[in-house]
Amino acid sequence: MKRPSGPFLLLVLLLILPLILRDAYYQHLMILVLMWVAIGSGWNLISGYTGQVLFGAAAFFGFGAYTAALLSSKLGISAWWGLPLGGILSVAIAFPFGWICFRLRGPYFALATLALNEIFRHIATIWESLTDGMIGILVMQTFISKLPYYYVALAIAIFSIVTVDLVMRSRWGYYFVSIREDQDAAESMGIDTLHYKMLSLCISAFLIGIAGALYTNYMGFIDPKVVFSLHEISIMAILVGIVGGVGTIYGPLVGAFIMVAVQEIFRTGGFGILHFIGQSTGWPFMSGIIKYVSEAHVLSFGILVIVVILFLPNGIVGDWSLIRKSLVNSKKPAV
Amino acid sequence: MRISSFRLLAIVSSLLISIGLSYAAEGPIKVGVVLPLTGEQAKFGEIEKNSLVMGLEEINKAGGVNGRQIELLIEDDTGKPDVGRSAVEKLISQDKVVALTGGYSSSVTYAVCAVAQQHKTPFLVSTGSSDKITEQGWNFVFRIAPPVSEYPKALNSFLSEIVKPQSVAILYENTLFGQSGAKEFAEQCEKSGIKVLIKEGYEAGAVDFKPLLIKVKAAKPDFVYMVSYVMDAALLMRQSKELNFNPKLFVGGGAGFTLPEFAKNAGNAAEYVFSADLWSPQLPYPGAKEYFENYKKRYGGPTEYHGAEAYGCVYVVADALKRAKELTPAAVRDAMAATDLMTAFGPVKFVSYGKKKQQNALPTYLVQWQKGILETVWPKNVATKPYVYPVPEWSGR
Amino acid sequence: MDVFLQTLVAGVLKGGLYALIGLGMTLIMGVMGIINLAHGQFMMVAMYITYVLFHFFGLDPYTTLIISMPSLFLLGVLIQKYLLNPLMKVESILPENQVLMTVGIAMVLTEIARFIFSSNYLSVRTSYSSSAFYLGGISFSVALTVAFGFACFLTLSLFWFLIKTDLGRSIRAVSQDAEAAELMGIDSGRIKVVTMGIGAGLVAAAGTLLLPIYYLFPDIGGPFTRKAFIITILGGLGSTVGAIFGGLTLGLAESFGATYIGMDFEDLVGLVIFLLVLLFVPGGFKRFTKV
Repeated sequence: MKRPSGPFLLLVLLLILPLILRDAYYQHLMILVLMWVAIGSGWNLISGYTGQVLFGAAAFFGFGAYTAALLSSKLGISAWWGLPLGGILSVAIAFPFGWICFRLRGPYFALATLALNEIFRHIATIWESLTDGMIGILVMQTFISKLPYYYVALAIAIFSIVTVDLVMRSRWGYYFVSIREDQDAAESMGIDTLHYKMLSLCISAFLIGIAGALYTNYMGFIDPKVVFSLHEISIMAILVGIVGGVGTIYGPLVGAFIMVAVQEIFRTGGFGILHFIGQSTGWPFMSGIIKYVSEAHVLSFGILVIVVILFLPNGIVGDWSLIRKSLVNSKKPAV
Repeated sequence: MRISSFRLLAIVSSLLISIGLSYAAEGPIKVGVVLPLTGEQAKFGEIEKNSLVMGLEEINKAGGVNGRQIELLIEDDTGKPDVGRSAVEKLISQDKVVALTGGYSSSVTYAVCAVAQQHKTPFLVSTGSSDKITEQGWNFVFRIAPPVSEYPKALNSFLSEIVKPQSVAILYENTLFGQSGAKEFAEQCEKSGIKVLIKEGYEAGAVDFKPLLIKVKAAKPDFVYMVSYVMDAALLMRQSKELNFNPKLFVGGGAGFTLPEFAKNAGNAAEYVFSADLWSPQLPYPGAKEYFENYKKRYGGPTEYHGAEAYGCVYVVADALKRAKELTPAAVRDAMAATDLMTAFGPVKFVSYGKKKQQNALPTYLVQWQKGILETVWPKNVATKPYVYPVPEWSGR
Repeated sequence: MDVFLQTLVAGVLKGGLYALIGLGMTLIMGVMGIINLAHGQFMMVAMYITYVLFHFFGLDPYTTLIISMPSLFLLGVLIQKYLLNPLMKVESILPENQVLMTVGIAMVLTEIARFIFSSNYLSVRTSYSSSAFYLGGISFSVALTVAFGFACFLTLSLFWFLIKTDLGRSIRAVSQDAEAAELMGIDSGRIKVVTMGIGAGLVAAAGTLLLPIYYLFPDIGGPFTRKAFIITILGGLGSTVGAIFGGLTLGLAESFGATYIGMDFEDLVGLVIFLLVLLFVPGGFKRFTKV
């Protein structure tokens, strides 16, 4: 067998998964995972590979989402056109933003993206005549079944992984990494750092914008607080990136899976296992535990961040060899 | 041979089905609930959840529905539409609930209702007050509470009969509830000839409302209408007092202004503030007072209209389940549509009017804080205390 | 004219409080070179401490400063020592992992507060909570005026500390050039620990002073973290005088924005000024002060 057998098997698995997992609830979770793969890949390109940490992924996400929603609510065009258009318009935002803000470095750039995120949220809230403000926009879903959404999301996720992979194999990828490693050195080697940072940001914004448009189509409802959310989108994007593995192709996939799984496990009390224990044993304190556990998902995110940064600074995929080594060692203590 | 094996299969499968059915018949009837139990809105979600649980226990103790118990599967929507959606999808597809209720925040409710409609599962909205929710023509969505545009119904008659104001300033928080409430009220004012001098939103959680209040004060409106949640409401009143701002009246658009926390927090600045309200324990509905007292005894704190809505909901759901021809979502929907029930929250009957469909039409009330107690003052026939108007100036208190 | 003056007063008083919030952040920024995105959450913790002391022990909120500030100092020290300093040795692709760590810390602090106190709104009511005095028709909130005065006092003390004491000089040295300071025999790890403590202690004061006129719930930290970094950037990183300018600028911009543009533009005005300063006055207002 040749090398790409791993990804190939994964692809086959993902293709047939919804046919095995008929339950709409699990399909829903898988769609969320795939959406986060796209966002995480976008984040990873600009932050993980190019080293310009994006704290405001929601700016592009929300822009894509609103593009799709406004197409349907204001122009009466199918929100599916938002997929390409949301991506393109996000690039149209990323371009001037990058042009102006890439003179900032490191944490200052990160803060500028955070500010962009907040500014968009405020504008979407205040500009009621266009966006209906916090009333939000409802787009009726095209399909009741989850399967079409699943395959669209899968296509977008594959597209984003392949895009990032192709870019990183090309000469651009080499420039991106050299900017991350040492911007001044890259500059002195004759790399036009602004140009390549812009390229990286635009591709990222494109991927994240598409994911935003997918969100609108799938969820059928958006408001500024949801799609421009600092905590739910921007920080979640960072978490997906760093938990999975900064600067790795499959990191976002692993990160997205873990983050969605962690969130749901806590929110549902271990998929109802705790409820079951509580009911079958009748222990009075179980209801208290269930309540605490269901509230703990953000706490678990926070702890996850701290643990990952302290012990697995390059994420699960990035530090896989480290994890495997420690696992193997613990199995065979004789070594 | 072939036929007999087929027969065997048929017998086995019918056996399995009957086992399944008998199992289902023995188990409780599942009803799904989505409420914010964590996050910023958890406080109200908690009140509604407690009220639902209280009502449920009463119903089950009294024999449940046709001899079967009801089980509420309560999911946390964390106040976010996407989480609410996944919660409700789980309830419908995994837990196979026959009906849904709950729904506190308007945006979550809006998103969740769309799912319920698509999956043809009846959803009785307890709070989610945006007008839009019952204006989509969704035949599986019902709402027990009045929409936000009707909150100031009683206020309007009070204004036209007693105050006769010329102008108003409308302040609202930038949320679905605030924005739609302010929009509707502004339209109503303009219709009745009251000039809207200022209509301005703010981001919930602001530290300092003084710049806004200074501007409002300078515009000299006859009264101020505010759609705010509890802490912003308290800050607005306290800072109005600090600025010695004296319009004829301050009126809250429900929500924050009716909570005990408002009075506690605003202190004497809460005195004489009016608010629209949907319910009070003094109303002549059967069980209203008992519900209030029992809640207080059991949970150690007072309840308010959100709780009463939820408490009413669980009775409406039980009633619909009782009358449903069979326990399928579609049959429960049909039964719910024919609801005609008196609850502690008020009479419930789902009617269509204007753009709205399957909306419960209820009167609303005007309340006023008097000596730290929320008194119903309008309409007169249900008033617990006479209203205090004109309101004395800050310096004269 | 009254509208203008009252807006000015509101802006300046709020600005004083903002300055106090920004002061701690700017100090941390100067020494560590990182943005502490858990700053508002530190403030939240201090507010809960004040609330508990007021509610269960009947202490006046202003008295609780002597407990809330040292407690937060300790919290800052522990976080720096066990969570942030170790990161300097960790090999990571991302240079910003210390900042991300503070995000994680912020989440954990918020959720712990939620566990203990639930999401309920809490407040501390005192006799001066909603009292005001009037000068020529302009109202001054008593609590905000006290906070303003205290902010001035703390700033002056901080100045004195940074200029006159050995520890203060070491902090300034690390802030200017960590490597050089290291060569001069200064233990930069220890200095960072102390600085984080002082930064947390300062924002604790802001929280305690704010509580009587505001309210409290676990998610209150986030908005103040955002305000803090805006102030820090406005004021120029690591500059104490700058933080005061930054705080006042933000306070005034928000107030005038709210009065003359619209209250819903309040936050937007701050953010836009932030972006403009970030881009066109990269050193912040430090440029004009040279301190």
